[in-house]
Amino acid sequence: MPRRRTRPSLPSRSLPDPASEPLIVLVGQPNCGKSTLFNALAGFKANTGNFPGTSVAYTESRVAIGGLHARIVDLPGTYSLTPRDGAEEVTRRFLEEGRPDAVIAVVDASVLSRSLEMTLELLETGLPLVVALNMMDEARRKGIEVDVAALQARLGVPVVPTVATRGEGVVAVAAKALAASSRKRPGIPPVYDRDVEEALEQLQAAIPEGALQGLDLPRRFVAARLLDNDAFLQRRLEGPGNTTFLQRAADLRQQLAEMHHWPEESVFGSHRHAVAVDLFEAVATVRSRQRRSKRERLDNVLMHPFWGLVFAAAALAGLFLVAFLVGNLVAGWVQAPFDALAQALLPDPGRNVWTHLGKGLLDGVAGGLGIVLPYLLPLLLILSLMEDVGYLPRAAFLVDGLLHRVGLHGKSVIPLILGYGCNVPGILGTRILESPRDRVITALLVPLTACSARTVVILALVAATMGPLAALGVYLLNILVTAAASRVLSAIVPGSAPGLLMDIPPYRVPPIRAVAKKVWFRVSEFLVSAWPVLIAASLVLGLLEHLGVADAINGALRPVTEDLLGLPGALGVTLFFGILRKELTLVMMFQALGTTDVASVLTPAQLLTFTLFVTFYIPCVSTLAAQVHEVGWRWTVVGVILNTGIALAVAMAARLAMAL
Amino acid sequence: MTLAEATVGKRVKVVGRTRPRCGDPECIAGLGIHIGEEVVVLRAAPFRGPLLIEVPSSGVRVAMGRGMARAVVVEPVDAAA
Repeated sequence: MPRRRTRPSLPSRSLPDPASEPLIVLVGQPNCGKSTLFNALAGFKANTGNFPGTSVAYTESRVAIGGLHARIVDLPGTYSLTPRDGAEEVTRRFLEEGRPDAVIAVVDASVLSRSLEMTLELLETGLPLVVALNMMDEARRKGIEVDVAALQARLGVPVVPTVATRGEGVVAVAAKALAASSRKRPGIPPVYDRDVEEALEQLQAAIPEGALQGLDLPRRFVAARLLDNDAFLQRRLEGPGNTTFLQRAADLRQQLAEMHHWPEESVFGSHRHAVAVDLFEAVATVRSRQRRSKRERLDNVLMHPFWGLVFAAAALAGLFLVAFLVGNLVAGWVQAPFDALAQALLPDPGRNVWTHLGKGLLDGVAGGLGIVLPYLLPLLLILSLMEDVGYLPRAAFLVDGLLHRVGLHGKSVIPLILGYGCNVPGILGTRILESPRDRVITALLVPLTACSARTVVILALVAATMGPLAALGVYLLNILVTAAASRVLSAIVPGSAPGLLMDIPPYRVPPIRAVAKKVWFRVSEFLVSAWPVLIAASLVLGLLEHLGVADAINGALRPVTEDLLGLPGALGVTLFFGILRKELTLVMMFQALGTTDVASVLTPAQLLTFTLFVTFYIPCVSTLAAQVHEVGWRWTVVGVILNTGIALAVAMAARLAMAL
Repeated sequence: MTLAEATVGKRVKVVGRTRPRCGDPECIAGLGIHIGEEVVVLRAAPFRGPLLIEVPSSGVRVAMGRGMARAVVVEPVDAAA
């Protein structure tokens, strides 16, 4: 008996027994608007992005459609069911092991023929399917008209035209998917050439008894995947009982290749391509193609070998300038009342435990509101815009040649740029890279990029006291050091880098709602997870100060702070707690020095040394956790050593340089 | 000739692929470049960077590293055809 409770309304988080609700998954190629569709259904819960691989891990939400409830999962974008990287493998595994009740195939109608190829693959899985024919507005602009009824008839599954950015057709798709999940009727799988069909039949007949046990897969799907040279399925089937069967698949594949004079690994794919092209020609008409001059003109500048790089540099510099100006302005507004409050309430900190704790609490609250948020918010907003407009892949295209000189390729620039907002999404973003080697190198480089928390330190200490040009210099140094580290790492980390292959999506005007959602998602992450830690750590620091433990930590770190870096020993605690969260650094520094006017107690040389050390040393705990998750303990330890070594070297060099 | 040697702006037809030293040639098809398809090199990135390739029949645009482009065998398309 299923549990039954009467609950009248929609709050999708507190529904009973989610396991009994139908599970609907969204599958589509990168940039098809899949995440936008998901967000339109799910509310304030996920990210959308306009470059390959935004949704690296899958996101889940529970929704109510017409009084019925369902779980909806947004799977990472993938070009085909044969996975090329970690993100695509997530999708494939989920389709085979997650037992979805229905699949929504999100199709970009503006590149319909390519998108249909994956729809054909999905039909072969035998899962109940609904096609969301998305970006109908863009298709129309490109002069592509799609006969929806004809497409529906050929595929044998419901096809719903949608414009996810405006919410059009979104509810209809979900309703159809819900209906499909209970009917469980598969669509019409593609029919290939006679030779291919014969090979498929022979291979299906050769599947040994029990080979598919525990794999809930149709025989035709298995045969088609194997003819398609699908290494993922081959790995799953490998075993003593299947050796002859897999050999048979290889033989048939080779036969087909010889018959059609085609490379063995792509002979099946090319037949599927032919079916997709036929289908496209049968259901779509293309009027004119000459209406993309705007994109052309933009690309002529933004992807120009010289002006494009100039623009990229200007855009990055502008990004930090805006963050600095806005942040400074707002921080000033917020900081003043808090300082006044601290003065009024706690005129003389340092007497008893309560004044220490009170000071800690105030510093923690003010630190979050007054120091981090004002800088974080504009940075996140502009980065999200760059991402959703489609600029990041273009930047990757431009810098690929440069990055090759330091042993990376262009795609790595995307996680690195994201790292300037926050290192954690940057490290998670490394999943868009195909080779494990690139993933390791990039995941170790991301913590070197000055995330917004460290940007705050750079702006507040260097820009505010030595001028914006000095801060720009710190950034340039940051980039140079990262490049040098990349060079070193690429010599150490084994493996080879594959060539670059990356979709360049058209420019898109992101819907304000989607950008707002993404920024809110990331800000709320800070408010919920980082701010409390910041306040707690600030309290702990107040307590430590009261107990005199701070002196012990300072004493232990004195060889580093005083001897190597020439800083006041009181900053030992600051650096120690900075590992918890970099946002703490500034608050802790004010605490430790007993003033917000740091220029009055530190020389410019000390400020610069401190800032550079903070910029490069051990990343925060959340970043370390993400690193362990993505590349494992061993590489994380290497990363920590690398970070600390670089931080010491750069900071000491700065100390020396400033002394001369 | 290979796609890496194609003239910028001239249509060429993909006639075959050799396995590139690094990476899987299958992914070229995944992004929409198939044998028999006509493609155009729209521009080249600086510092011997990747090529921007368009498939006019579908409007797909892809950035492709030179190593991979060297593995795509193409032939020129007659302007008359």
